[in-house]
Amino acid sequence: MAIILGAGIIVKLVLLLLLSFSVVSWGIILFKFFQVQRAKSESERFMDFFWKSKRFDAIASQVDRFANSPLTVLFNEGYSELKKVVESDGKSDGSALSTDLGGVENVSRALRRATNSEITRLEKYLTFLATTGSTSPFIGLFGTVWGIMTAFEGIGKTGSASLAVVAPGIAEALIATAIGLVAAIPAVMAYNHFQHKIRVLINEMDSFSTEFLNIVQRNIAGK
Amino acid sequence: MNSRVPQVDTGIGVSFTVSAVIHMAVFLLVAWWGQLFPLQMPIQETYYVDVVSLPVVSPQQGDAVQKNSESDATPAPVPVLPVPASAKNAPKSGTKTIKSVSPVESVETESAFAERLAKLEGKAEAQQYEERLKRLSSKKKNTGSTKAGIPSAAGTEAGSSYADFIKSRLEDALKLTSYYTTQKPEVAVRLTISAEGRLIRMKIERSSGDSAFELAVRRAIDLASEKFIAPPTRTTFENGFIFKPKGITNGTSR
Repeated sequence: MAIILGAGIIVKLVLLLLLSFSVVSWGIILFKFFQVQRAKSESERFMDFFWKSKRFDAIASQVDRFANSPLTVLFNEGYSELKKVVESDGKSDGSALSTDLGGVENVSRALRRATNSEITRLEKYLTFLATTGSTSPFIGLFGTVWGIMTAFEGIGKTGSASLAVVAPGIAEALIATAIGLVAAIPAVMAYNHFQHKIRVLINEMDSFSTEFLNIVQRNIAGK
Repeated sequence: MNSRVPQVDTGIGVSFTVSAVIHMAVFLLVAWWGQLFPLQMPIQETYYVDVVSLPVVSPQQGDAVQKNSESDATPAPVPVLPVPASAKNAPKSGTKTIKSVSPVESVETESAFAERLAKLEGKAEAQQYEERLKRLSSKKKNTGSTKAGIPSAAGTEAGSSYADFIKSRLEDALKLTSYYTTQKPEVAVRLTISAEGRLIRMKIERSSGDSAFELAVRRAIDLASEKFIAPPTRTTFENGFIFKPKGITNGTSR
């Protein structure tokens, strides 16, 4: 503790900045961990439920049970768009073929938009982890360089280069790099982990979209 | 557009709080660990004995005042050499006389011998006492006439007596090396002593230009630096000293 209290003001500021980076990145890691975990487990349960159900309206009434899954968002979007298409189809008396194709494309667009917004939601705050992982070692290094500079200044003043004079200043300085690495390592690990998890979820969303469109197209074509 | 309203991340505040608490806990753990197993050895209180102004002086308490009433009169750090030497010699000479006398007076009765012995011892003691008194009075005179060598510490500031300790060492050394060619040579030197008590820097800030005296001062500092001890504050000690042939005065300490 004395080593931190004995450091210069710049080194102290650097340490404070790194500490806040660490606190925020760990907050994000915890939040993301639970968010992704819930999204994954509820998506699996939703897919089970989806394949067991025969009707979209039955699914739509139950979908709130899986509110944390990105797939339910996709389903809601696709279903509401489908309802609009069907309603407008019932009102209009145009040719069936054009409405069918247009209806499927509308649903497809709605699904794509929902997928994008879900990706955005899942990737939210992850940039901070990437920033922490890549910059905090450099911030720590800056603190170290500054600390060593002041240590050498002190050595110049006392005129002695003995280890006893040099060592404490350098130890004080090196702690900045240590804290920088402590902040960076979990951030980088968590960032890679979440990137992978989110890629899996995106794949699930894509395959769900195609399944959904397939069902819609089959039903419309079957009418 | 019934796109999903970007939901407020309710969990994130909780996560940040938990994260902050974890960091605090880790910090406290590290601090507690450091206290449990301190890296450095506990600093022991150092006492150093100034042979000139006995008894023990504890610089930590800034206590430069002697407890003994006898030595109270002689706070001046004058070189020690004659004091213990003569004190040791006195009883020796006493025993010598006894030894030289006893073979001659072998015929004497035992009681008479004891009487003589007591007389002789009393004589020696009285002589010794007289000598000591003379010495003290001469010292008192000295300290009254010149201010040189009297510790300037008020005795209130911790470590102030350390500067006097250093000064005393320097004065002892200067007595051995002092040599000058001009009338009133004067050299101001700034000394830096490391926390371990080593002389790490010596800078001559001002000199009257007497190169012989300058050399003497350098040699005195070299000599004295062997006897330096670690400052009681365990920090780098820096002080200016003004060297004159008559003695050393404290310069400004930084």
